[in-house]
Parts: sequence; C-alpha cells; structure tokens
Amino acid sequence: MKLEQTKPAGSRNSSMLSQLPKEKWTYDTAAHLAARAGFGESPSRLEQWTQQGMEATIQQLLHPDNDTTPPPNSMVPDQFAELREQVRDATSPDQKKEARRALRQATNQQLYHLINWWTRRMLTTPAPLVEKMTLFWHGHFATSALKVRSPYKLWQQNETFRHDALGNFGTLTKAISRDPAMMVYLDLQTSRSEHPNENFARELMELFTLGEGNYSEHDIKESARAFTGYRIDRFEEFRFVSNQFDGGAKTFLQQTGNWNGDQIIDIILKQPAAAKFISNKLWNFFAYEDPDSQLIDKLAELFLQNYEIRPLLETIFSSEEFYSQRARNAIVKSPVQYVVESGRTLGVNLPGGRTLFAVYQRLGQVPFYPPNVKGWEGGKSWINTATLTFRYQLARQLVLGIRLVNEQPAKEPLPSPTAQSSPLAQASPAAQTTPMTQTASLTTQNAVRLPALQVDQLVTAEDRKDPEATIRKIYARAFQTTPDPQLFDRILDVAKLKPLPLADDAIRDLVALMMMTPNYQVC
Amino acid sequence: MSQEPDLLTRRHFLRTSILGAALSWTVPIFVERTFSLLNAEAAEITTQIATGKDHPILVVLQLAGGNDGLNALVPFADDLYYRARPTINIPRDKVLSLDGYVGFNPRMAPLKNLFDQGKLAVIQGVGYPNPNRSHFRSTEIWQTASDADKYLKTGWIGRYFDNCCNGEDPTVGVTIGSQLPQTFTAEKNTGIAMTPGGRLGFGKEADASEQQVFNELNGITQDHDLSSGASIGSLDGPSEPKLSAIEYLQRTALDAQVGTDKIGAILKRTKPEAVYPKTPLGNELSLIARLISGGLPTRVYYTSQGGYDTHNAQENSHNNLLGQLADALSAFSTDLSSKGIWDRVLVMTFSEFGRRVSENASKGTDHGTAAPMFICGGNVKPGLYGNHPSLSTLDQGDLIHTVDFRDVYSTVLNRWMKAPAAKILGRDFNALSFV
Repeated sequence: MKLEQTKPAGSRNSSMLSQLPKEKWTYDTAAHLAARAGFGESPSRLEQWTQQGMEATIQQLLHPDNDTTPPPNSMVPDQFAELREQVRDATSPDQKKEARRALRQATNQQLYHLINWWTRRMLTTPAPLVEKMTLFWHGHFATSALKVRSPYKLWQQNETFRHDALGNFGTLTKAISRDPAMMVYLDLQTSRSEHPNENFARELMELFTLGEGNYSEHDIKESARAFTGYRIDRFEEFRFVSNQFDGGAKTFLQQTGNWNGDQIIDIILKQPAAAKFISNKLWNFFAYEDPDSQLIDKLAELFLQNYEIRPLLETIFSSEEFYSQRARNAIVKSPVQYVVESGRTLGVNLPGGRTLFAVYQRLGQVPFYPPNVKGWEGGKSWINTATLTFRYQLARQLVLGIRLVNEQPAKEPLPSPTAQSSPLAQASPAAQTTPMTQTASLTTQNAVRLPALQVDQLVTAEDRKDPEATIRKIYARAFQTTPDPQLFDRILDVAKLKPLPLADDAIRDLVALMMMTPNYQVC
Repeated sequence: MSQEPDLLTRRHFLRTSILGAALSWTVPIFVERTFSLLNAEAAEITTQIATGKDHPILVVLQLAGGNDGLNALVPFADDLYYRARPTINIPRDKVLSLDGYVGFNPRMAPLKNLFDQGKLAVIQGVGYPNPNRSHFRSTEIWQTASDADKYLKTGWIGRYFDNCCNGEDPTVGVTIGSQLPQTFTAEKNTGIAMTPGGRLGFGKEADASEQQVFNELNGITQDHDLSSGASIGSLDGPSEPKLSAIEYLQRTALDAQVGTDKIGAILKRTKPEAVYPKTPLGNELSLIARLISGGLPTRVYYTSQGGYDTHNAQENSHNNLLGQLADALSAFSTDLSSKGIWDRVLVMTFSEFGRRVSENASKGTDHGTAAPMFICGGNVKPGLYGNHPSLSTLDQGDLIHTVDFRDVYSTVLNRWMKAPAAKILGRDFNALSFV
C-alpha cells in the first residue's frame, strides 16, 4: 500500500509487466521460456538456465551465438529459367504438358528442400528466439509458395525475416514492401502509376500494421499510389522504376505530401494503433490469448518509441504475467513447434523431402504455405478431430520409425487410394499444388523407413532397471517441466508392468504414450 | 466392436435421463450441448434433434480454384462465346443442349442423363455484387456467405449448426479431409474432419493397460457418468464455456474417438452399390454414401475437388475435371438410389468464382465472376434456374451475375434443411424453386 502511494499519478498500471522476482525463477519458468521463446531445450540446458538466472538467459536469447547453418543447397536466382523456356518453346500440346510437369516437379522438389532446410535449422539452432521470431514474421507477413512458386524468392524472404527478426519493425516492414516474394504475392510488381494495385496497400494496413478500422478506403487508394514503380529484375532482385512511380501529392491519414512507400510506412508507424496491433499480436503469440487491454497499452507505449523489437520481447519475457498460471500450458503447439520440439527435446528423427511436407500438411501448417495473407489462425484452430488423430498417429511413427505397414485389415480396404493407414503414406502433398489429374502421384516414394528413436540418448543402462528413473528422464524431455504427479504416476503405472530392464521398444512405447496426451500438445 | 453398444446406450441415455446429471469436464462437447439445451428447456423451436434416419442431408461439393462456367455450361447459341474463345471453345456440335441456348460440356454426359431423369437443377449466373477475384477472399465470401466488403468469423453451415443442431453429435457435420473448411466454422459445434483410415487410439499393439491409460490421459471414459453428483445449476444456457487448451484437447480427443468408432463400425457393415470412378472425388462420394446409408446422424457433408484454376492450356485439364465430377456424381446417384436414400440427399456444388469470358494468351482463362451451380438429388425440381448472364453486357470483361449465391443458400436452408435461413444468413434472400 505504501508503495502505491509514492507512485506518480498516471501510473496506476505500473504493477503490470513488472519483472519476475528472482526467487520465482525456477526450472519450470526456465522451461516455460524455452518452449515459448524457442522450441524446448534439453534438461541439462534448462538446468544451466535455472542456475544463470532469468536476465542472463533472456540476454542470451536476445543476443545469441551465430547460427552457422549453411544456406540451402543450389538456391540461385531464376534457377528454372531453362525449364520455363522449354514450356514456352514447346511445339505440341503434349510437349508443353511434359515441360510444364517437369517445371512443376523441379519447383516442388526445391520447395521441399527449403522446408526441410528451415526445419533442420530450427532443430539445431543456437539462436532459437531468432528462428521463433522468423516463424512469427512468416505468419505475420504471410506469403505462400502456392502463388509465388520461386524457392529462391521465398528463401530470400525467410532470410529477411531472420535478419530483422529481433531488430526494428519499421526496417522490417520497409524491407518486406520491396521483398520480391511479397511483391509477387500481393501483386505489387504489376502496380503502375496509371493503375495502382491496391492489394498490397490494403494488407499493409489491415494485416501488417494497423488492423481494421484504423484507416479509410481513401487511405488505401492514396497509399497504393505511393507503392508504384516497384519491380523485380531477372535476378529476382527488387528494382525501382521511377517512370512507373506516381510522384504526385497524396493525402494519407490526414497528411499531404509527395509520399513514397517508405514515407507511407513512416506515417503508419506514428499511429499508436500500429504499436498496439503488433504488441498485441506478439503477446498473444508468446504468452496467452485475450490479454487485458491495459497490459497491451503499456507494451504499445514502449514499442511506439522506436519500434525496436528486442526491448519489447525483453519486457514480455521478464514480466510476471508471462510466467503466470494463466500463461502456463495455455498455448497449443503449432505443427512446426510440435515437429521441431519433438526432434529437439526427445531426439526423434524427422523425415525430409516430400514426406516432411506431407506431415506438415496433415498437421495443418506447411512452412512457406500459409493458407492466405492473414497467415495461420493458430491457437485452438490447430486442433480438430483429424489433426489430433494425425498427431497421435505421427507420434507413434516418429518414435518407432516410420513404417509403411498397412495396419488396416487387408480384406477391408477403405475406399480411397490414399487410405493406407500409415499417415505418412496417405498424405497427398500434391493435392494443393498440382491439378487433380495428378493424383496418380500419391505415392509413398519418400516415405522411407526412418530410424526409430535412439533410446540410449535418453536413458542409461542403470535407468532401465528402475521404471521411475526412466520415466523421470523421458518425462523431463517430453513435458519440459518438473513432474505433474497425476500424469507422472499414470505413466509410471504402465512402465511398472513392463519387464526389467526396460527394453528399447518398451521405452519407445512410453515416449509415444507421453506424446499422445493433451499435455504434450500444449506449451 | 464393443464400442457400439456403449454408444447406443449413451445416445439412448442422452434422450431419456439427462436432466439432473452432473457436468464433468470430460463430457464431450455434444453431450454438454444436449445438456445446456434441455436446461434451457429446449425452448428454441429451430432446434431439431436428429433422429438419424429421416432428416434431409446436404452434401456440399467445392470445385476449388474457380470453375470455368462457360466451358461447363456452354452458351453455344451465342456467337459472342465463340468470338471470345477462338481456341478453347467447346464446338457447337459437341455441346449437350439443355434448352437450345446453353448445354453441357460433352464430358458431362452423365450429368445430362441426371438432368434428363429429373434429378439435376442448374442455377445459372451465380455470383455476388462487387466480386472479388482473389481465390482466398472469394472462397471466404462463399464460405461465410458475407457481403463482399464484410468479414464474418463463422461459416454459413457453421451458423446452421449453431442455430439448429445444438446438443447434437459431433458428426452432425463431416468434412472429408484433414482441415475443416471455413464453411463449418461455428461458435459451438464445428463438426468433425476425417481422413479415411484415421482412428484415435493408442495403437493396435497396445495392451489393455496402455490403452486404458491413454484413454484416461485423454479424458476418454467409456461411460460418461452423468447421473451422479451435483445439479446442472451452474450451467447457464447454451453458451460456450471457456475451455482451457487442455480441456479443449480432451474434448476433441473424445469427439474423435466417438466419431471414428462410429464411422469405423459403419464402414464394416456397408459397401458401395455402384461402380465409382477411381478418382479422389469418386472415393470420397463413395465414402459419404456409406456413411449416409450406415445411419451416421450427419446433416452436412463437405468435400472438394481441386484443380479448377485453369490459367494455362485448360482444354484437357478442365474437360477432365468436369468428366471426373460428372462420373462421380452419377455413381453417387446410382449408389444412393439402390440404397433407397437418394430422395433424402441434396448435392450442391460451388466454386469461388467463374472465369473471364475471353480466353487469355496461354489458352487458359483468368479469374472471373459468375458461374453456374449444380444441384442434384432424388427430390430436386429439375431444370435451369436464373438467367444466363449476358455475353454482350460485361463488367470489365466479366459476366454480371444474375443470381446471388445466397439466394441458393437461402433456398437450401429454408426449403431443404427446414432451417431459418434469414437468421443464418443475416437477412432475407430470394427463394428459388429447385427444391
């Protein structure tokens, strides 16, 4: 009470977003941060974070070691020029069809490669928050390979997200306005002074910065004029063509001037609505849904100063609210989080190529393929009866090694050629990207058998003789927390029924059981 | 197997003795709905409790990508059509005439047969004002039944579930595929999504104790013992309680198990009674036919056929798609007729938009506006509805729609589903007479 009285007027919310007291920093808070600011960590890393304290840990996340992952192989501009020429120069319909098929196949292969590359990077990165924010910006400035069809452009955009992931939001937004993948996706590269295309201008305000209701149709029309003359050259680089640019006076958000695109973004970022919009989205992504408006106001006040992302994240990750009961286990893991975290914490092997694409597709989130410019809705919408069923089937397959065994009784074939019960065998990655006439390609060519989970990385020979020690070890990896007694005991009950010392497959069963719980789907 | 008696008991129990029972957080969503409903004295007359055997069924079939209506329902008597499409037109002598002005693409011969048998209605020129040419946005408009400048959170079928299917089984809506379409997005029951072969469980090799622990951890109990414990006084009306993420997951797991167990049981005792084409759509419609004949209490099924985004060299690909569509629908009709349930089923196709009148430089067509919808079923009033859009008066090279797609939805809701269309669609729309 005394403390409150000494506070200056107007700071009645100053108890909000106060720093988590040192004594409340525990193994579980460290684990909570690891899952939210990244993709989970090993128990030994979490132990280290617990010891070094919250501030040091957050600084480490905000200023990580360099990720030395090499760029994806053979990713060069305009790499399918030859195949495109073959399509163009084809002399018969059959030849054209064949050339088009070759182009589509080569493009898809390279896109699978890109998805795989990013997945591995998230899996092994020493900079998890950078990758997590790259994923956030990808969902925010959503751009889909379905329309862009250029692996090079999408990789470049991914690197732009990564480069500015923790930097400045204004810098990032300007970079995205001249990002070739985005320019293709929202038709900016066809926008001319005579016919400005409003697609980008509209989404810039509605989805990227201000949110609906904070601008008028007139503002869209005027700002669209400022984003003219943006072109892509044959090396897939941005080029400004001044004679396509409308340099005339524009009145945008009540301000008149000969604005160009960057100036439009500067004007937008002066609006408190923009700081609020992004702060809210970040809080929802990292902490919990539907926060108090006062909490967001406070974050937005900070963000509005300069749109620096690091201080904003530092405030979020240091706050008591971020570690409150309301925040714990409140977020449904996205499919990317589910897949990467399973690899990172439990050490399951992940498939690659088209199989990985198919896995993501059936889970409901394929990197580089957001459903539309709004990005993924996230939250509970990740889970429906089909995606949850698939998560559980996938868990078994990842742990035991992916098999193509048909678990359906052979005499009762289900009425679909895609109905092999191995989920990895029945995925249809081609469905979205190729015409239905390509359904013959629903093969299992990439669904090779993956190695089963290496149990020795989880438990020692000594652990195997003691069900409780074994469960303790794998529980710490799967759930990233100190045990919830009820959950722990039920799993231990199952372990106790198995012969000792616990064999590899017995332990794999227990890992799968943990993954096939509601608790594993949240973080 | 052993699941089925439990389910029957549970369903029976739901209808007879639900009042006065306790609500536990492991109760599946549909049970709780029934609960809330009875607690609210089931006052809402719009609510219909499914009997599972006699209610009308709607099958929504999405032609994804933007179906080129002009090459499906061809205005062959109009020279403007041939002038606009010098290389990709359907030759006049190949068109299957319906009324002397328009006719079907020859690959749609099976649909022409349905038309002649009086089982098919064609609504011409369907669209909406201020058409949007983005796949995403236009699909969203069709799925939510919004105006072009409005954004709605829920789908039109989702609002039908919310208004008319409170307290029902999760399988009231079934989507074939792994993602629920926005059409099904609802405040409450969104239906289930299924992929053939998916079953929720710990796995075949699991021993009983593993399966039991799996069920427990997922909040799945065989007997949702509602008859003991406190009163339901704490439950106020049919509003959605705020579920935590874990509670939501437990309920979805239960819905999945209830749904997949039922579906699994139905697939064991039903079989197709027609030869379906070996296409994804053929397989999906065959599956839907089995689920209907097996008595799944589903009101709305949803499936889609992709590939209609025909910007390039569309002739073969588009004709093939129409052929696959016609073959699959024809088999579906035969199958359901032999099963004696074709009269209870209405199939409605839609596509996010039609395509431009003029072909483009790559012998394809770009995103356009109005297109026909096909409605078939044993109880359809056959014929052509609406006027074919003019080929001479265009809006920036695009057809001007003559029928609002919500006129069609409204008719389906009011006349077929016996649902309050104005409430679901937000206002009154014109009634058509195809049902």
